[in-house]
Amino acid sequence: MITLHEVCKQFMQGDEEAHALKNISLEIKKGECVVLKGSSGSGKSTLLSLIAGLMQPSSGKISVDGKEISKLPEAFSAQLRRKNIGFIFQKFHLISHLSALENVIVPLIPENLPVHVLEEKAKAIMAQYGIVHKAKMRVNRLSGGEQQRVAIARALVNNPSIILADEPTANLDETLTRELIVSLEVLKQSGVTLLIATHDPLFFELPFVDRVIEIKNGEIIL
Amino acid sequence: MSFKPNFLLLDYAIRSLMRRFGKSFFIFFILSLLIFVLASVLMIADAIKLELNTTLKALPQITLQRFSAGKQSDVPLDRVEALLDIEGISAVTPRVWGYYYFKPAGVNFSIVGIDAYEEQYSATLSTLTQRFDVKLLEKENGMIIGEGVKKILEENYYTEFFNFITSEGKWQRVRIAGVFHSDLALESNDLIILPKKLVYGIFGMDESKATDIVIKVTNVKEIPTIVQKINERYPDMRAITQDDIRVSYQNIFDYKSGFFLALFSICAFAFFIIIYDKTSGLSSEEKKEIGILKAVGWSSDDILKEKFYESFTLSVSAFLVGIVVSLFYVYALQAPLLRNLFMGYSALKPSFVLPFSVDASMLVLLFLLSVPIYIAATLIPAWRASILDADEVMR
Amino acid sequence: MSLTPEIIALLTLDAIFLFFGVIAFFLSMRLAFYWNNNASTPLQYSLTKQSYLVATIIKYIFILKLPLFLFFIYTCDKLSNIIAGAMCASGVINSVDFGLYLTLFKLLNLYFFGFWLLLHYTDVSSEKLPFTKLKFTLFALFAVPLFAEIGLEIAFFAGLNISKIVSCCGTLFSASSSSYISLLFAVNELLWVGLFYGFFVMCILAFYLKNGVLTLFANAMFLIFSIIALIVFFSPYVYELPTHRCPFCLLQKDYYYVGYLLYTLLFSGTFYGMGGAVLSLLSKGNMRFSRLSLGLNAFYLFLISTYPIVYFIRNGVWL
Repeated sequence: MITLHEVCKQFMQGDEEAHALKNISLEIKKGECVVLKGSSGSGKSTLLSLIAGLMQPSSGKISVDGKEISKLPEAFSAQLRRKNIGFIFQKFHLISHLSALENVIVPLIPENLPVHVLEEKAKAIMAQYGIVHKAKMRVNRLSGGEQQRVAIARALVNNPSIILADEPTANLDETLTRELIVSLEVLKQSGVTLLIATHDPLFFELPFVDRVIEIKNGEIIL
Repeated sequence: MSFKPNFLLLDYAIRSLMRRFGKSFFIFFILSLLIFVLASVLMIADAIKLELNTTLKALPQITLQRFSAGKQSDVPLDRVEALLDIEGISAVTPRVWGYYYFKPAGVNFSIVGIDAYEEQYSATLSTLTQRFDVKLLEKENGMIIGEGVKKILEENYYTEFFNFITSEGKWQRVRIAGVFHSDLALESNDLIILPKKLVYGIFGMDESKATDIVIKVTNVKEIPTIVQKINERYPDMRAITQDDIRVSYQNIFDYKSGFFLALFSICAFAFFIIIYDKTSGLSSEEKKEIGILKAVGWSSDDILKEKFYESFTLSVSAFLVGIVVSLFYVYALQAPLLRNLFMGYSALKPSFVLPFSVDASMLVLLFLLSVPIYIAATLIPAWRASILDADEVMR
Repeated sequence: MSLTPEIIALLTLDAIFLFFGVIAFFLSMRLAFYWNNNASTPLQYSLTKQSYLVATIIKYIFILKLPLFLFFIYTCDKLSNIIAGAMCASGVINSVDFGLYLTLFKLLNLYFFGFWLLLHYTDVSSEKLPFTKLKFTLFALFAVPLFAEIGLEIAFFAGLNISKIVSCCGTLFSASSSSYISLLFAVNELLWVGLFYGFFVMCILAFYLKNGVLTLFANAMFLIFSIIALIVFFSPYVYELPTHRCPFCLLQKDYYYVGYLLYTLLFSGTFYGMGGAVLSLLSKGNMRFSRLSLGLNAFYLFLISTYPIVYFIRNGVWL
């Protein structure tokens, strides 16, 4: 459950203040799949960052799973992000010099749990996505599709209740896009809240998408 | 506040270092080199100090010199009897010795006078009187020389005898009666032992005087009191005790070590400026990585911890490598080149084996001079890395 | 000034501490002034980032200060070989007028920094960051004794004179000493011992009552009287010599380095006791570390008490 109330975010660009988001109020229910529609620069990435707790709003309140995160100290928001949120990026953003398994484990490293516990978790999720056989391989040697699956596994390794996806299909071909959409549908069915920021029109008509919210110039357009 | 080390984080840190291998290795190499030089110098200094302390024990307990008009002058022999009266003194031996400048080779020989009937004040001389016939030396005008002296004389074509030039300008021919090899190599290499009579002659000294007086006491702890009594009796005499020498050597060593360290710190400082600079600049690749880590749930603190693990691993391994190589260099290879820093360079200085003298406190000292300083140099760059914003990754 | 390698190491690290300390000091002042947890301004944002730097610097300094304190004592011990008359660290330390003050100052700073870190960890483990403004104000205050200590240490090593004869601990820690230490001996030693055990009982009482102020007072007094009792009464039993009363010689090899254990127990016990008490008073919450503190203090008490008892059992008389 994600709630935004009168959220504004301004950035300093040189001497000028740029308004990335203006008075956004939004409510996303648990298990909902919402698509944020908007061109680049509309503020959707900023919105995702705010919900993930990567930055704090200039004003307004944000609550995630009942907890107000707008004023949370960074250590706590990082922990929340680690435990509750999975992120899927446009360019996968895997750490190229690490193996697939290591990439999947990365979010959990600060938890300081025993190695075998983390490896088991990682392997379980990788098995679900069919890439556990490439666990030890360096990710820059994997194919695009395999990298995509590693990225998804990493987002899911901590059993998040919320998945945030930022332009997930922007760099993918048709096959991979279809595979991704299938994965997203599976996730939606398992009760995960999905928030997908994209300007790919394919998403606007998908059956499992509950709502499409349009953002332009930092404001929600109804 | 529990400090359980995070091994996965450590592993991540090590992999990060390996990934930037060129840069990491450069820093590692220079750091090890610095520690190596530092450790070697400290080890050599300590080893020589130890050797010197051993030598010191063979030196006289009290050496008395006479000073008139602020300069050292010879001691009248009649004082010997008076000194024996002082309680606590067990033996008083007048010494006749000096330095003889041998111009062709440009070196000084140490000349020591020996008397067949006197109790010898040092173990070396005692052994000599046992091994060689001193009475014969006196009869034949012979001398016993150290190995270094022998070599120099041979280079100047003196094989059987040597001609001293006395203070009056006359020749004094002396036969080379024997060569001695001493265990205390530092002490005896440039030594010539002659009958006292000859020494008086060569140096033109008054035969009723001696160069200085050497005193043995029954109880070492009473030395300061005895010195005080001697000073009261003969205000113009200065006493040098074993302790004085030990302290002055330690000071010279500490001074030399300190001086070296001061120079060294300047080099180290320059190096750390380089470190700071190198670790400060983050490539876009590295910035992206930090952004990703933050996005998946690492806090600034976690990133700082990871950077600390990197610094710590690098500096501690450089420390260990530096120490091990240094141990090998000093004790296995006997520290060529660097030993001359402390020993000075002289044609007559012999080689001796550096005794092993490393203890835990030296390792602690070396650790404190390396690891914390490196971590200090990387502290601010590490912090700067940890506060990077993740949202750049989003775009 | 004699520049042994040990002194150079200490002075180099002092220089580093000074450098970082000044940075932390100025940042702390800024943080104490402008910190506003509820603001989302760019200023607050950069202040948050700077607060990490200050915390990191303080952690760095504190972690090094602990072993450096011991290293300082060791250096003084080693210097006693070249300073006439000194036979252990106390002779060297007392050869300079303010030497003893420097040592106490170092100890005080350890307590201050340790306490700051306790406060810091309590602060960051709460979402509200309740103590941030306070902790940076405190650090701006604590920085002053830090700088004073560094200045004193530099002056100390610069002022060491190897040719000046100094007294050894035998005369320093005796009734005939010319310093105020002799006052300690003017009183019957059993009084100090009584106060020592008495204040420990007060610590136990404070533990059961869970009273912050009492714990703070009891631990502080326990610390003071432990040291006095150690010098006056207990140390002769460690050395098995009635006139040897030096608190530094305990750290030497001859006595199995027992001093390190004793002092670690005493200092950490009283530190946790006092720190926990102050924290509970600030946060108006529960007493923390009270069990740990009591345990450490008790262990110290037990250990130091065994020396006279064992001596009596073995020899049938008291010293």
